[in-house]
Amino acid sequence: MARSKYGFSIFVVFLVLIHLVLHVGMGIGESAPDLMTAAVLLAARRMRAATAALLGLLLGILEDSLALVSFGASAVAFSFIALLGARSRDLFEGDSMLFVAVYLFLGKALRDAIHVLLTPAETGMLLTATPVAALYVMVAGLIALGVYRAITGER
Amino acid sequence: MGVVALALILYALPTEYQSPVREGLRATVLRPFLAFQERIAQRRGRTVDVAAIRAQRDSLAALVTAQASLAEENRRLRALLALQERAGDAFIPADVLHVGMATAESTFMLNVGRAEGVRVGSPVLTPEGLLGVVWSVDEHQAQAIDWTHPEFRVSAMTADGLAYGIVEPRHGRYPEEALLALTGAPFHVDIAPGRRIVTSGRGGVFPRGIVVGTVLGIEEADTGWRKSYLIRPAVRPEGVAQVLVGVGRSGREADLSALWHVSAAPDPLGADSLPPLPALDADEDTN
Repeated sequence: MARSKYGFSIFVVFLVLIHLVLHVGMGIGESAPDLMTAAVLLAARRMRAATAALLGLLLGILEDSLALVSFGASAVAFSFIALLGARSRDLFEGDSMLFVAVYLFLGKALRDAIHVLLTPAETGMLLTATPVAALYVMVAGLIALGVYRAITGER
Repeated sequence: MGVVALALILYALPTEYQSPVREGLRATVLRPFLAFQERIAQRRGRTVDVAAIRAQRDSLAALVTAQASLAEENRRLRALLALQERAGDAFIPADVLHVGMATAESTFMLNVGRAEGVRVGSPVLTPEGLLGVVWSVDEHQAQAIDWTHPEFRVSAMTADGLAYGIVEPRHGRYPEEALLALTGAPFHVDIAPGRRIVTSGRGGVFPRGIVVGTVLGIEEADTGWRKSYLIRPAVRPEGVAQVLVGVGRSGREADLSALWHVSAAPDPLGADSLPPLPALDADEDTN
């Protein structure tokens, strides 16, 4: 159990690092998936609500440090979706691929909706860019989780 | 819920409390990633499309040289007229680092900062014209917005100085469709498609005479008093790798018209008719 816990923590850190390398290190924009959101959402399913929200807060602040306006918007969005993600365990048991797909899609859409609410971004992007980005996070998250499960033998 | 409340407090904090957190994270956790992109940019400059990069560098060098000779001429003429010497404009070259995060959309990092003389409000130029303006400054880094940013505004005029207005971004369905618009142009003046729009120097941020773009056509004629025109921007932000950052005087007191061969008429609200605007504070953060 402890081994699985550490393995999953390493997996989450790895997703965050890949996200930073792709987006900050290589400057790839929307062409690269939002692995930070995927990491927060996947981690939240295995954490206590307060710990998940704290992880969301920290990663949100990290993302906010590159924003010029609305500092803290990502922190709010990430901590909120992490909190909901952790609470979702009370309603939905298990981590089937179908559930994870829907969970990642809705999580990313909610994260973007909160972010748009708190920033001067165009609200129109919620109908155009957000569904595509959510789909991208869903696919990337599923692939990453599939790889993790294949390596660790976790079901 | 306590953590979410903490995040909301962070969101509501005044800028002066947010800035140290932002600067601290950029200088520590994010530093390796930004340095990585800097190295990639430098390597790309050595390997990929050397001719294009060289052309861009040559154009930037030509701009600096032309500006230096103008400054020298200005200094001599002012000396002949026994006028007090004004601080000239100076530009420093910088590498552009694109941050691919959604939170940093329409912004870019520069590998120069406060130590190199960059300040909030410093204009960012390319050989083609105006790219953006510096928005926040760290010791050896700065973050700037390009013209697609919702907060971007620049006082502009037609190259012949007949019509003045404010240029602001117009967003399409996709980022590549973004254009600019000259708003508040006088109703009685018709600006033909193809006319160049340049910065007017009003507002004290951008020097006068930098090319902003060319007129595509009329956008709307609202309330019968003002017209808006769509503008094709002179610079597309996506492909820019190197820029010049203004570290000298800006606004009405600076005139870069000659660099882009703009025959702008004297500003009716010129430097002599209005009191000088207060200079932007180097430590000020406009966020």
